[in-house]
Amino acid sequence: MSNFFLYLGMGLFTLVLFCLYRGVFGPGVLNRIAGICAIGTKTLVILLLMGFIYNRVEMFIDISMVYALLNFIGTITVAKYLEIRGEV
Amino acid sequence: MTQVTDDIIIRTVARLLIPFIQLYALYVIMHGHHSPGGGFQGGVILGASFILYLITHGLEEAKARMSEVKAGLFSSFGLLIYSGIGLLCLILGSNYLDYGELSAILKVIPAQARSLGILGVEIGVGIAVMAVMFSIFFDISTGGVLPEDEEGESEGR
Repeated sequence: MSNFFLYLGMGLFTLVLFCLYRGVFGPGVLNRIAGICAIGTKTLVILLLMGFIYNRVEMFIDISMVYALLNFIGTITVAKYLEIRGEV
Repeated sequence: MTQVTDDIIIRTVARLLIPFIQLYALYVIMHGHHSPGGGFQGGVILGASFILYLITHGLEEAKARMSEVKAGLFSSFGLLIYSGIGLLCLILGSNYLDYGELSAILKVIPAQARSLGILGVEIGVGIAVMAVMFSIFFDISTGGVLPEDEEGESEGR
């Protein structure tokens, strides 16, 4: 069962690379923001999978909740910054 | 960065989410010696909740909850708790932040006194970090100039 989570995590990591491409070379600011947010949600799931691999889910749930929270606040902050600058 | 947003979705989500963020921050501070986290991490989450309030509800409403003066007082107060517990251990005749000696005051066994002592230190660190995080964001977003300082010039900042 641990191998299953490992392969799932490797698949998600491959998807993170695609999102990273969109975040770096994406045309326009909005595509970059969308790519970075997708990386954040995938990182959250990867953290939980790491918890299942190491059999310490209760530790990694705390970390992943904080990661989701800060991702949310960061997205709102960047969106508001772009709204004020009038770039959208 | 600090004017009121007119989007009702953002305001409602923030209003519903902020109490749970603060409850979770208190859990991280209190549970720091059993799980990842502690004073600094819990303080960062607590500061993030105030930053979210400042972003979504604007400068005027946020200053009623947590102003620059209050943030300065809270950071000093957290540092006072931290260094006060350390100096109390020093007065009682052991090293700085050696909580075992606190058992004479708290009337508990030394092992329990160590647990309570590090909990007090983490509460102090959490308060100080929360205030400093909010203060840094406050200064950066307003540019160090509050709206009542220069009338009419800093509109829409």
